[in-house]
Amino acid sequence: MTIVAEAMPSSLAAQARESRVRRFALTDSLFRNSTRGAAILVLLILGGVGFSLVVGSWEALSKFGFSFLTTESWNPVTEKFGALAPIYGTVVTAAIAILIAVPIGIGIAVFLTELCPRPLQRPIGIAVELLAGIPSIIYGIWGLFVFAPFLQTTLQPFIINVFHGVPGLNSLFAGPPYGIGMLTSALILAIMVLPFITSITKDVFDTVPAVLKESAYGIGCTTWEVTRRVVIPYTRIGIMGGVMLGLGRALGETMAVTFVIGNAHRISASLFAPGTTISATIANEFTEADGTLYTSSLVALGLILFILTFFILAIARFMLLRLERRAGA
Amino acid sequence: MKPMLSNEIAMSDAIALAPKTTKIEVKDLNFYYGESKALKNISLSLPARSVTAFIGPSGCGKSTLLRVFNRIYELYPKQRADGQVLLDGKNILDRSQDLNLLRTKIGMVFQKPTPFPMSIYENIAFGIRLYEKLSKSEMDVRVEQALHRAALWNEVKDKLDASGLSLSGGQQQRLCIARTVAVKPEVILLDEPASALDPLSTAKIEELIDELQVDYTIVIVTHNMQQAARVSSQTAFMYLGELIEYDKTEKMFTSPGEKRTQDYITGRFG
Repeated sequence: MTIVAEAMPSSLAAQARESRVRRFALTDSLFRNSTRGAAILVLLILGGVGFSLVVGSWEALSKFGFSFLTTESWNPVTEKFGALAPIYGTVVTAAIAILIAVPIGIGIAVFLTELCPRPLQRPIGIAVELLAGIPSIIYGIWGLFVFAPFLQTTLQPFIINVFHGVPGLNSLFAGPPYGIGMLTSALILAIMVLPFITSITKDVFDTVPAVLKESAYGIGCTTWEVTRRVVIPYTRIGIMGGVMLGLGRALGETMAVTFVIGNAHRISASLFAPGTTISATIANEFTEADGTLYTSSLVALGLILFILTFFILAIARFMLLRLERRAGA
Repeated sequence: MKPMLSNEIAMSDAIALAPKTTKIEVKDLNFYYGESKALKNISLSLPARSVTAFIGPSGCGKSTLLRVFNRIYELYPKQRADGQVLLDGKNILDRSQDLNLLRTKIGMVFQKPTPFPMSIYENIAFGIRLYEKLSKSEMDVRVEQALHRAALWNEVKDKLDASGLSLSGGQQQRLCIARTVAVKPEVILLDEPASALDPLSTAKIEELIDELQVDYTIVIVTHNMQQAARVSSQTAFMYLGELIEYDKTEKMFTSPGEKRTQDYITGRFG
């Protein structure tokens, strides 16, 4: 009797427990599937964008074929379109912007983490982050009305004079000084990507263990040597991440570049000459594109930018992977 | 002394028996973390070419004292020291003391192994290259010597190009000791160098300390009483920022003069 009496409640408890376990399993699988769904959604969107770009650009690509990539001329009147000038402009302005912004960004980060007196740290850090908050249209009008005229009267004539007689450089920096042009866009882009590079670099610098820095100082290193040989190698992956983020922004930046690049569909040896980028061309011409071939060519430009960005990110990943393997960590 | 012994031998005997010269002399040292005082009127002198151990419960100031010797605390703006620390009679707390030069004379090894993010070879060569210009072959010799000194050569000679981070914890710590030795310091500071290591690696490090004291003045901070007893010639017991007792290790562990020292060593507090 007693045995049965005790067995009853315990089997009830077991039942309750089992139903609860079943409920857990249900919510668990619900949770798993919803997160998986979110992840798949990203792939779907990415695939959808890629697909519609291909569909939209099909007409232009099938008409011009591979020569679309290698033709410089862009003539809406005769409906001959080639993407070489915008591709060149995009790559060159982004590359120069990164070349300028990376050393400055790392310099600011080193100063903020290693050298800056404490009371100045926050104000400078905040100022840099505020740069990231300025809308690109403001960079655009500032670039057109303030920065470009300033360059036109100061920096550009100076550089043209300095490199006047130097072979090679004299065509790279050939006049006349327009103010606007490739180099001006690159400088504006450099200012725009600077906060990304700086704040990410600063954050990863803060992750370097104090004891590692102490041991480098402990064998007699100066701040420069600690930074160069310990802090930067230790954080290079994070820094690369920041640079890539900046590069992605520089490649796709539209508004500011459209204002100051000059929107000329040609490739000039001189960096002072007007040029164009992929996104600037699209933004400028979409409203006036009549005829399906014109529109399709613009979409094809978009597809190229899409692929370009993808490849640059992929190459960056690959480089990082090799770096990591060599470091053996 | 027997008359047949030559003068020379008698001379060298006399040198060996003479009390060791003082390498570091601390006089009335106070140390502050911001407002709080971490070291109170510390005075002691460390003999050259021997091992001195600092023991005491956590937070008693022994690591702080060690960090004064190479002024590494100056990396942090709110920390400061006053008093005197004489290295070969010269006050290193003096403003005119060049910090980088000081740190090449006084090397430091930390509790956690801190290999630099570069190859094993470079980990050693890096520090040497800062102050000496050597040819590739001279550098090879120096790196090998340093790794031999740290009893690591046989384990790494075939993979000098591998990352320093790929070594085990014990090997990493010996790499750090090799790196410190390589720049030919006069004093080596060890801040609990074996506390993160397994017993076998610990034994190796202790053996190493024993060998290194022939050429270097060594100061070691340790939580491990047996370790202090095994490796050191002098032991200082610190408590709450004060130096309670400082004497020959043998005497400290057999018949300490202070009751607090005895209580700590026998594990009654701390």
